[in-house]
Amino acid sequence: MGRIRIENLRKNFGAHEVLKNINLDIGEGELAVFVGPSGCGKSTLLRQISGLDQPTSGHIFIDDKDVTGVSAADRGLAMVFQSYALYPHMTVLQNLTFGLQNMKMAKVEIDRRVADAARMLEIEPLLSRRPGQLSGGQRQRVAIGRAIVRDPTAFLLDEPLSNLDAELRVSMRAELAALHARLAATMIYVTHDQVEAMTLADRIVVLRAGKIEQVAAPIDLFDKPANRFVAGFIGAPSMNFLTVEEATPILPTAPAGTALVGVRPQHLDPAETGLDVTVSLVESLGTETVIHATLATGTRILATLPGHVRAKVGEHLKLGGDPARMHFFDGQDQRIG
Amino acid sequence: MTASPKPSIGAVLTAPIVWLARAADMPLRAWQRLTGRGGMIAFFLIPNMAVFGIFVIVPLVINFFYSVTGGTALFLSDRPFVGAEHFDRLLTCTDHFNPTTCREDMFWTAVWNTSKFVVLQVSAMTVVAMITALILNSKIPGKAFWRAVFFFPVLLSPVVVGLIWKWILQRQGLLNFALYELDMTQVNWLTERSWAFAATIGVSVWAHVGFYALILLAGLQAIPGDLYEAAEMDGTKPGRVFWRITLPLLYPNLLVVIVLSLIRAVQVFDEVFVLTSGGPGTATLYLTQYIYEVGFASVLRNPGLASAAALMMGGVLVVLTLLQLGLTRWRDRK
Repeated sequence: MGRIRIENLRKNFGAHEVLKNINLDIGEGELAVFVGPSGCGKSTLLRQISGLDQPTSGHIFIDDKDVTGVSAADRGLAMVFQSYALYPHMTVLQNLTFGLQNMKMAKVEIDRRVADAARMLEIEPLLSRRPGQLSGGQRQRVAIGRAIVRDPTAFLLDEPLSNLDAELRVSMRAELAALHARLAATMIYVTHDQVEAMTLADRIVVLRAGKIEQVAAPIDLFDKPANRFVAGFIGAPSMNFLTVEEATPILPTAPAGTALVGVRPQHLDPAETGLDVTVSLVESLGTETVIHATLATGTRILATLPGHVRAKVGEHLKLGGDPARMHFFDGQDQRIG
Repeated sequence: MTASPKPSIGAVLTAPIVWLARAADMPLRAWQRLTGRGGMIAFFLIPNMAVFGIFVIVPLVINFFYSVTGGTALFLSDRPFVGAEHFDRLLTCTDHFNPTTCREDMFWTAVWNTSKFVVLQVSAMTVVAMITALILNSKIPGKAFWRAVFFFPVLLSPVVVGLIWKWILQRQGLLNFALYELDMTQVNWLTERSWAFAATIGVSVWAHVGFYALILLAGLQAIPGDLYEAAEMDGTKPGRVFWRITLPLLYPNLLVVIVLSLIRAVQVFDEVFVLTSGGPGTATLYLTQYIYEVGFASVLRNPGLASAAALMMGGVLVVLTLLQLGLTRWRDRK
């Protein structure tokens, strides 16, 4: 159980439409990641699903039951907040049991659930501590534990790793993936970090300005972006966009109707013939070298080359690319082919 | 020949300060060389400490000497040493709960009146301030306006507060006029003992609640909204949210409100003096008014006895302040 379906959902704040006719179907046990730039509406969409906000119009179904007007508590969902939202004056144990006590659950059952979650998340030694006495990673575990003990239909996670340092984020990301595999529960995960999205998601929902741009598995999103925005947003560094004329040295013929050619920086290589670029910045990262360069037309271009490649600022380089790995967009920025 | 640029208004206005700073620079540098860092600290502290000393420390010391000397003379040299006689007079009772059995019955009447006033006023103040803060923190239209309305009485002079409420509550005041117009029984708000006592509490709460509500409002606004959303997801009922989340997180602010209002309630004087003058009889005679009357206002004024009473009240205030400090530190450690 845990299918979540959204139909024709709109949300207005005053005259400003924040969510524009959202339609989405998240399958049982699926980990869906909402991703998009700041202000795209991903957290707003999560709040509509959670019940913390009510949509202006449209419907939300959980397991085919319309929960649009149902209170947050009665939707059977659990949420992990960006700030963790742990009650600072309560111990970890009290934080875990607070919601269950509200449900008037029997103490034996509360104890069992807390013990299970604490064991699963390895927070047993922390139960008597207060959140202020915990590290960021430990707080994160407690916040997840508080969601787990509720045994929810689905988990909603609002940028849960954004307050952690880079190292801890990587390890917590792996733990979240393992947790999802173990619980096999439906999870909706909001992030602006595309690495998190790519590594965790079964499917990624890319949002822009309150609209869904594409819903697809991570690798499909990378290989077949539906439009220029998705192509530019997914992948780091971002995809290069060239006019057909600019791409001519590496692309003899473009499909009919092509207005823009997309080439990922990873798919450009030093070559005898190809794009003639002038290097403006070199970022040597050890395993790879990122070249910032410009074409004669002034278009900026990025190339991720092997780490052993050396280049100097001001140097002229030829960059080649495989036409089979290029992306083509029409005048409306939509994918061709 | 080029004309010199016209100085700006800012430069003209700050010129005296700049001149003063330059003039003070050299002697201050010399003083620092002579006395080091400690000397500079002393230099900047001395003006404030002098004012504090003249208006707080010196009167405190003089007050102590008054309390152990007798007579009506004001000059200490003219006052004979009587030791603890004033304290003995104030504290001697057959039954401390019955002021008529005390040597200084008015003192004990004032002590018990003040005690009752403190308990009831602080309780009422805390509850009303909390309710006000909760309302002002909720989504109400014209929030800024209502905040100003509740805070406005705090800006009034206590004498003005007393006069306003006297105008409302006196026998032929506004409230009785309203009751008369509504064909309801008129009440002697200020001349009936229990009503007068209640009136002093009500007026005092009205005058100061804005200040305490503001302290609690600041505390409420410091509670992260996420916690309430987490509670909402947890299905927490509003009452439980208040008792289990809002109140515990508001505890530091609540402590400040209780202790500050407690200290202020012990010192209550001006608005009550204007409103009831301690009457009817001694129904609203509080400790500060007793001290004022014994020391300055009565025909047989007794500065020594008033000073002894003031010292004892000061002792109570010191205990309350230490209590606040202790509780705050205990809470911080927790």
